[in-house]
Parts: sequence; C-alpha cells; structure tokens
Amino acid sequence: MRRPFEVVLAVSTGLILAFLLLPILALFLRIPPEDLLSQLTSEVAVDALIVSVKTSVIAHAVVLLLGTPTAYLVATRRFRGRSLVLTLIELPLVLPPAVAGIALFAAFGRAGLLGDTLDAAGISIPFTQTAVVMAIIFVSSPFYIRLGIAAFEGLDPALMDASRTLGAGPRRTFFRVALPLAAGGLSAASALAFARGLGEFGATIMFAGSLQGVTQTLPLAIYAQLDIDFDIALALGAFLVVVSVAVLLTVKLLPSWTRFTLISLAPSGRSD
Amino acid sequence: MRKALALVFVLLFAAGCGNGGTGGDSNEQATVFAAASLTEVFPEIDPDATYNFAGSDDLATQITEGAPADVLAAASPKYPDQLYEDGLVDKPEVFATNKLVLIVPKDNTANIQSVDDLRNEDVKLVIGAEGVPIGDYTRTVLENMRASDVLDQVVSEEDDVKGVVGKVSLGEADAGFVYVTDVKPVKDKVTTIELPEEAQAVVQYEIAVVKDAPHHDAAHEFVEQVLGEDGQAKLQAAGFGPP
Repeated sequence: MRRPFEVVLAVSTGLILAFLLLPILALFLRIPPEDLLSQLTSEVAVDALIVSVKTSVIAHAVVLLLGTPTAYLVATRRFRGRSLVLTLIELPLVLPPAVAGIALFAAFGRAGLLGDTLDAAGISIPFTQTAVVMAIIFVSSPFYIRLGIAAFEGLDPALMDASRTLGAGPRRTFFRVALPLAAGGLSAASALAFARGLGEFGATIMFAGSLQGVTQTLPLAIYAQLDIDFDIALALGAFLVVVSVAVLLTVKLLPSWTRFTLISLAPSGRSD
Repeated sequence: MRKALALVFVLLFAAGCGNGGTGGDSNEQATVFAAASLTEVFPEIDPDATYNFAGSDDLATQITEGAPADVLAAASPKYPDQLYEDGLVDKPEVFATNKLVLIVPKDNTANIQSVDDLRNEDVKLVIGAEGVPIGDYTRTVLENMRASDVLDQVVSEEDDVKGVVGKVSLGEADAGFVYVTDVKPVKDKVTTIELPEEAQAVVQYEIAVVKDAPHHDAAHEFVEQVLGEDGQAKLQAAGFGPP
C-alpha cells in the first residue's frame, strides 16, 4: 500500500495530464486522418500556410539578427538602467495580445504616433504583410531575447576571461567563444520564439486584419473557418499541433546535440 | 486513467452545477447569444440578462457545440433556421429589420462620397467576411449596385460587424459597410453615406429559444419582451426597422 501523499501526487499529475492532453487528442479524433490531410490542401489552408511561413521566417530573421546582440549586451555588460532594460524587454511577454494590437495601431497606424511621418514617406503599414511581420516580432522577440540572455549568462565567465587575456578582442570573443558555446541555448530560444510567432493571433487580427492570401495567417484562418468549414479549422489546428510538437522536440534535442559536438571536439583540442 | 478522467468530468459537472445554482434562484436570468449589432440595444431592453455578443455565425457554432445558451438572436434568418432544422432551437421569429450604410472616417482623407468612389486606387475598404451576415449582405448590396468590382479594394475581411466599425472609426480603413444601427455609438468619428433603397439587402433579425435552454422560462420571457411593445419601441429608437 503506497503512502497517501504518493497517491495525491500521482492523482494530481494524472488529472492535469488528462485535462491537457484530451483536447489535443480530440482534435485528431474528430475527423478521420485522411480527411485532415485533404483539408490541408484546400485553397484557404494553403494560402494561410504560405502567408504564415513567409511572415514568420522574415520576422524570425529580424528577431535573431537584432535579438542576439541585445541578449549578449544585457547578459555580459553591467550598466545603469540595465534592470529597466530587462523589464522593458519582458513587458510584451505579459501583455495581452489585444493590447499589443491597439498599441501597434497607436504607434504605426495611420492615425498613430508615427502616422504622419510614415505617410509622408509614402509608407502605410496596417493591413499589409509588413504589419503581420511587425506583430510577430512584437510578441516573439522578447521571448528570444529573454531566453538568449539566460543562455549567455549561463556561460562560464572564466572562458570569456581566458579569451580576453589570450588577446581576443570583444568581437572575436563574441563570435568565436560566446556564440558557439551558447548555441544550444540560443537554438532552443529561437525555436520557442518561432513557435510563439507562428501562433500569433490577437495583435495580427487587429493590426493587420484578415485577408486570405495576404494577411490571413494559420491562426487567423482557423478563426475565420470556424463557422464556414469546421473541418478546415480542425485540420489547421491539428497541423499546428504537429508543428508545435516538432518545435518542442527540436528544443529538447538541440542542446544535447550541441553539447555532444562540443564534448566530442573538446578532447582533440585539449590533448595537444 | 479512466478513474482520473471520470473525476475530471465529475469536477467539471460540479462546476457546472455551481453555475446553475447561482442562476437558478428566484430571479433567474436568461443567457442571450446575440448578434454583435445588438450590443447597444439589447441591454436597454433587458439590463439583467447575461449577454454573449458575437458574429451570428460564431454564435450558431457555439450553440451547435453545446454552449449553454437560452436565446439566440441573429442578424440573419440563415443560422436560426438552420439550427431549427437541426432541432436545436424552437421556431425562430423575425423581430427586427436593418439596412446597410457605407461609413467613412470623419476626416475622410480618401474623399469618398459614394460607392463609386470606392473604386479609386489606394482606397482601403474593410468588409465582413463571407459567411458572416454583414459580409454576405455587403456582397448582395454591391451586386445589386453592379459594383462588385470594389471588392478588389478590400484590405481586411472581419469576423463581425464591430471589426468593420472599429477599423473605420479608428481611421485606419477608408471605408466599410455596416448596419445603420452600428453608427450611433461612433457617430462622432464616422460619416454615414446612405445606399440606394432599391439596392438594399433584406436584413432580417430572428430570435429563437434554445431547445435545451437551462433557463427556459426566462428565455421565453426575454423573447416576449423583445417582441413586445416596449422592446419594439427601443429597437426602433436604435434605428432598427419593424419586423
């Protein structure tokens, strides 16, 4: 007979697992798998897939390009206002997506803060793919930067110091020491941020609107198809579950993979 | 595992009962699923009912999926009639009519005076999505006016009429087709352009009591209130036409 406490632990875990997994399982069981697949080739689904992939990839490139140096700076430098910068980076993480949507309007909309400036330059952002990209960057970059900071902070300071005392400049230290060593953590951060961006809904539907083939991403297509063709909505939902699982597996496998390559490289470096 | 699942259901059921309990005493209130265009007027008719305002199509889906609604009030006969055929609601009744107008932001930077002006390049038109009543009516009206080509200027297809109103009143879209009754709350921000009477679509609002209504009596009372003298007066004051 197990002790009551063990039973409580097991029952709690069982309950929460059942609750979390049942809806996801139901998504796949509601219609036959072959129907799921055929719905995915429908015009709406394909259009949404193309829009989502295009905007997510562009947004993600920007996030990696600007986010990596930002994360490195915050992780390795001590400066006044550092904790303020950290808080500002974290703010969009806790912001409701609908707030992100109206905030983007307030800043970049035609009647927004930069509206006249953008207008003078002949730029109009709302209802375009640029708007989708911006919404994705707004919600996913804090994710990447926050986890990226953790990855850089996790590095052994002795290694960085060694690089410096051996005569490598800050740039060389970043590219040859910090970046390769943090690669595992950064990849995990990148995968999670990408998944967050792919699922972006609230800010997009407000700031970019929803138009098939232009701004209608996968989550927006699910919403739009909910009442028109529930099967397509289900199929898109199931597809996003598969993508999410793939992202999670990547996150779980990447760090161990990079650790493995680093370990396997290390002895040859040291034996000399 | 099966025991665990059973327990989840018991817990959910208990939660459901808890809800029913609080609503089940002497002053029990109806839960009304109503078209977004009724957002302003329904609480005037019955301030105590619990409301869920959304696109009529979403409401129909929610009821089909088992949402605990007592009353469905839709901006089109399409969904109530369909649910009636499926045996999910009682026989629907027409309780109001509406018509479409074109709205533009007050500053009207795109200088739109009529539907014809929508053809101008760079005009950002926002309409309801296909399958949403306002979206279907908009397409009917444009067809009646032989102006379906203005659909090329659409930059966003919204899931309910409030999405259209919001984007135009924010000044982010240049124009949008909405019900005349949607204009009142944003009349300081938008200008209304009337559409020719002969081009209008037949916009009928239907109301029905849900078959498995948790608050059956309150549901019938609510419907009577809407169809009654006072309800009709308030609907018409809000700009709706008589049934």
